[in-house]
Amino acid sequence: MDSNLHNNLPRGPVEKPDQYRLVWDLPLRLFHWFMVIAVSVAGITGFLAPSWWLDTHVVAGYAIGILLVFRIAWGFVGSHYSKFRQFPMAISGMLRHLRMITTGKSDDHAGHNPLGSWMIAILISTLTGLVLSGLVALAGQEKLGPLAFLTTYQVGHLAKEIHEFIAFVLLGAIFLHLTGVFAEIYIFRHPVLKAMFTGKKPMANLSPGMKTSAYIGRGALVFVVFGVLLIGVGASLAGKPPMGWRAVDVPADYKSECGDCHVVYHPGLRSKEAWQSIMAGLADHYGEDASLDEASVASISSYLEKNDAGTFDTKAANQMGKVNTPTFRITETRRWKRKHRKIEPSVFRLKSVGSKINCNACHEDASTGLFNDSNVNLPNGAQE
Amino acid sequence: MKPHANSFTLSTLAVIIFTSWILAGANVAFASPRQNILADYAARVKIQTPGFEGFSTDRGKKLFLSKPGTGKPDIPSCTTCHSNNPANPGQTRAGKAIEPMAVSRSPARYTDFKKVEKWFRRNCKSVTGRICTSLEKGDFLTFMINQ
Repeated sequence: MDSNLHNNLPRGPVEKPDQYRLVWDLPLRLFHWFMVIAVSVAGITGFLAPSWWLDTHVVAGYAIGILLVFRIAWGFVGSHYSKFRQFPMAISGMLRHLRMITTGKSDDHAGHNPLGSWMIAILISTLTGLVLSGLVALAGQEKLGPLAFLTTYQVGHLAKEIHEFIAFVLLGAIFLHLTGVFAEIYIFRHPVLKAMFTGKKPMANLSPGMKTSAYIGRGALVFVVFGVLLIGVGASLAGKPPMGWRAVDVPADYKSECGDCHVVYHPGLRSKEAWQSIMAGLADHYGEDASLDEASVASISSYLEKNDAGTFDTKAANQMGKVNTPTFRITETRRWKRKHRKIEPSVFRLKSVGSKINCNACHEDASTGLFNDSNVNLPNGAQE
Repeated sequence: MKPHANSFTLSTLAVIIFTSWILAGANVAFASPRQNILADYAARVKIQTPGFEGFSTDRGKKLFLSKPGTGKPDIPSCTTCHSNNPANPGQTRAGKAIEPMAVSRSPARYTDFKKVEKWFRRNCKSVTGRICTSLEKGDFLTFMINQ
């Protein structure tokens, strides 16, 4: 006989409290519900919220990362049913379980059943993929986070595509997980949701009994040790200078001569050729005479050419700076148009904005050339 | 005692004269930079128009509000960016705020000759399509100083 089958057990919940035994320890249950919260926040901010919710999305992502590391560690040092080696992962067992479900039955398991075990494996690996691809995307695109010091824009861009793909895979996995839980509760009459709150399942003949409090201290210790370790290493790596970005020392004449009329554009927003053409055409600068004396032209030109888009590996430099447009306007690049397509024209006419080329009106970090998603702050009266 | 008294009077006189020279010199050196700029424009106007009687606030105001239609189409007038009232702040076409033109509101204005010349050169070209005359510049500044 299959040892997993307990055909002598009554169907449905057992009401006698002495037959309820602790299966899920408190640290595991806390992990589960914190994960639900963190994934919900990450999911809502990632799929639905405007891009300036990136900060919240990233915090949720860090939380998911720490929770995952805890869960993986708990799979080795946790209580009996939390341990990975207790997961019935054999393919033959899973196929048998699947066959049984088609006949309308799902046998009792103290811990995870075979399909549930595979579900957990899929959820953990999908979430791990999401956290890692998210970290790389954040590093390459925003020049932020622990991997920013070694990630190029191209790699970050690729990671973002992968991150978005895995996010849809996770949606599917969550759907399967919930389907399984509903089926267990309403079709097979296993109170698995209640068990994830109380930790107890109506399992008789449970071999390794467990004291309620035995694993709480160990769970806290594992969580704190890995949490502190991850945050410490992460923060120290995040403090390193990001790859492909540096602070530039803006010369006074660039600030005053150009900045009297418009935003002091970061030099990485245009290519060397574009800057040369702009500097050569100052007598008719987008409809105004902006001519300068020769000395100023020479010193500003040299600053721009030394710090042009080719010398930065940021999102803005790659997507806009390196893209030359016929009039050299940044607002004519595909990237600029796509990212601002939802902004009503009236927003650009607000007194606090003035024009499309007043980047600083919304991008608080425009002067750094980074244009991070999280540093967008629409002025009063503007909505996306 | 008399010769002695005389030399005392003489030296006192010398000190007074010397001091007034110093003060006069200081007066030139410390005259408001804005007055110096106006004086410079007046001197240039006098070379061409010996009968020049001084700059006029009214002519400056007329110039500020005029729409010559000979410059760049996007900026037909000073008021396009500076607003109709020199006491109000303006805004560049790019969206940057411009401090009011009136000296009463922006006391630091018109004190750097190089800067004044730069903006007259650029903005006169943009609005009128030509460089402004010293008379126009002086009238314009006089208007702004009296606002």
